[in-house]
Amino acid sequence: MDTSNPAVFVNAELLRLYVGRRVRAVIQVLQSDGGVVMGKSTDENQIVVKGSPPAPLSKFVEIVGIADSEKSIRAEVWSNFGDSFDTYTYNQLCQLANGEFKHLFL
Amino acid sequence: MAISVTPEAVSTILSNPSPESSSDVPDLVVQVVDLKATGTSGNRFMFSASDGERKLRAILPSNMSTEVMSGNIQNLGLIRILDYTLNDIPNKPDKYLIVTKCEVVSPPLEMEIKTEVKLETEIKSECRSEGTGILLKPKQENEIKTEMKSEGPGILLKTKQEIVAKSAAQIVHEQRENMAPAARMSMTRRVFPLVSLNPYQGSWTIKVRVTSKGNMRTYKNARGEGCVFNVELTDEEGTQIQATMFNEAAKKFFDRFQLGKVYYISRGTLKLANKQFKTVKNDYEMTLNENSEVEEAGNEEAFVPETKFNFVQIDQLGPYVNANELVDIIGVVQNVSPTMSIRRKSNNETIPKRDITVADETKKTVVVSLWNEHATNLGQELLDIAEKSPIVAIKSLKVGDFQGVSLSAISKSIVLVDPDIPEAKKLRSWYDSEGKESSMASVSSGMSPSSRNGSRSMYSDRVSISYITKNPSLGEDKPVFFSIRGYISFIRPDQTMWYRACKTCSKKVTEALGSGYWCEGCQKNEEECRLRYIMVVKISDGSGEAYFSTFNEEAEKIVGCSADELDKLKSQMEEENSYQLKLKQATWNPYLFRVSVAQHEYNNDKKQRITVRAVAPVDFAAESRFLLEEISKMRVPK
Repeated sequence: MDTSNPAVFVNAELLRLYVGRRVRAVIQVLQSDGGVVMGKSTDENQIVVKGSPPAPLSKFVEIVGIADSEKSIRAEVWSNFGDSFDTYTYNQLCQLANGEFKHLFL
Repeated sequence: MAISVTPEAVSTILSNPSPESSSDVPDLVVQVVDLKATGTSGNRFMFSASDGERKLRAILPSNMSTEVMSGNIQNLGLIRILDYTLNDIPNKPDKYLIVTKCEVVSPPLEMEIKTEVKLETEIKSECRSEGTGILLKPKQENEIKTEMKSEGPGILLKTKQEIVAKSAAQIVHEQRENMAPAARMSMTRRVFPLVSLNPYQGSWTIKVRVTSKGNMRTYKNARGEGCVFNVELTDEEGTQIQATMFNEAAKKFFDRFQLGKVYYISRGTLKLANKQFKTVKNDYEMTLNENSEVEEAGNEEAFVPETKFNFVQIDQLGPYVNANELVDIIGVVQNVSPTMSIRRKSNNETIPKRDITVADETKKTVVVSLWNEHATNLGQELLDIAEKSPIVAIKSLKVGDFQGVSLSAISKSIVLVDPDIPEAKKLRSWYDSEGKESSMASVSSGMSPSSRNGSRSMYSDRVSISYITKNPSLGEDKPVFFSIRGYISFIRPDQTMWYRACKTCSKKVTEALGSGYWCEGCQKNEEECRLRYIMVVKISDGSGEAYFSTFNEEAEKIVGCSADELDKLKSQMEEENSYQLKLKQATWNPYLFRVSVAQHEYNNDKKQRITVRAVAPVDFAAESRFLLEEISKMRVPK
């Protein structure tokens, strides 16, 4: 298992701290066309995901990729997370993983 | 000068049945004869108080029991009565002396001091010089005495009626209590203290107040159907006893018995109380049948003893879920459902049910299920006034895990509407000022959407498996409950994992001679039986592992099929062995378990036994929130 470049759990707010780094985020798909997916992050802000999903997307999707700006991610891996997802909990996870428990993740 | 009995002591007592105080009592020395132990634990003593000529049936106060047991007071000894009360014996002109204070005067004499011929036991005596009287010989336990004040000792009884009439008049005149003429009948009753009742006593009458009345329940067992209800009776001394009535007797007396009223009861039967169902402190319990007599005591005021509550706040109900302990709650009625008809699984009978939603200052709501009469009458009453958000105080509720936390009334639950107690006032003012407007959450919801099967209880008392295994003394006195999240890690295929059960009552059946199975519970033979799981599974979590016992319902959920079905798979001879496969498929599934931990003795060795009481699938969203909560608790406050 390659642990050299872990993807940071981010929401919109945390994304801007990791520009250029590998990140992962779960978004709610708002719109998807022309190689761009508009998504709502778990902290209710917008994130732009660049790339074309290989398969039809479910309501919630996890994106792993490189943060290429404060508001966008260049997607490498797309994973469908289904139609029900507890965004509140994921958001808390993002806070914890980048806050007091950062050492466990990065 | 040797002390002897006070002449005419009995007459003196009879003429002053209720002295105001001990100073009102003259010197009364009597001889104790026929001393015997009585009462619920044989720690009270009855005797006959003799003044040489006449006797009075009497009972010693419980604080003198030690005097008897130590030998200070013995049969044929003398005591001085310092304070007493005289009670009537129903249907007889007799009296019953309750000695409230006395002192020992002399150790046992050689024999009973007597002036008259004794009928009952072996005593011979020296006759006093005064005249002799003849006692009419009655049944063994009741001596008929009279109290013709002005006449000499010993009276010849001709007919009961005559004496009764005369004494009654005397008594009415002399009694301190204000008894109306209509109560004349009651005057001639001899009332026994509840404490003196036992199964071997012949006839008795008690005067008791109904301090609790249960609802009428119907039942169906192997022997048929019936109805039953019970009442709690308390007498003047404070002794309590439970009385039960079945079928005809139940129908006959149900309306007659009213909470708070006083009754004369006779012709009941006593038996040792069944400890499992005991609600009052008494070694015996009473059964009344159609021949029993229940008569309302005319002049007694109905007094409903104040119900004592011990309220639990709604958000504190978690730990009581599925426990044996009953709870009391008080809250504002938010909602009253219409009456529903529920079919009882055991006997297919339908009973009425109504759910009311109640809220309190913790801003939590809980649903209380009412049954039978609580549902119909009381429930309707609540529905009518529901708009006014009445306050209900309910005593003796069972806490269940339906939808997390739920409350259910039982036969002896007491529901008071808008009671005049301080907690109700507090609740009212809270509700009127802020409660009305605030949003309430169901106690079950906690931090997560509740799933149907006991989600709340799965989040209370959450521990790791190692917490249980590392604490061998858990559940020493009585079982303790926890919730656990873990994985089924192993089910041994070669264990005995089911037993043959009766299709009707689920008890274990034995193979009958010939064919079929015999059920001890139903007392009959059945052609077929069912298999029910009794399985041990290994459960693991991040901290450790342990073996847990499971019963039918839970095992079915874990294995994914019934015991009968699994048995079929087992007996299939094929290459794949679907039986083992089925068990393998059951492993490594995560669940939430509600478990009880208790101690079991095997050959003088105490072993921990963990039993699964409920299984629920993991609700990951809810579980995550629970974990977040736990994480936040970990934070050391700065």
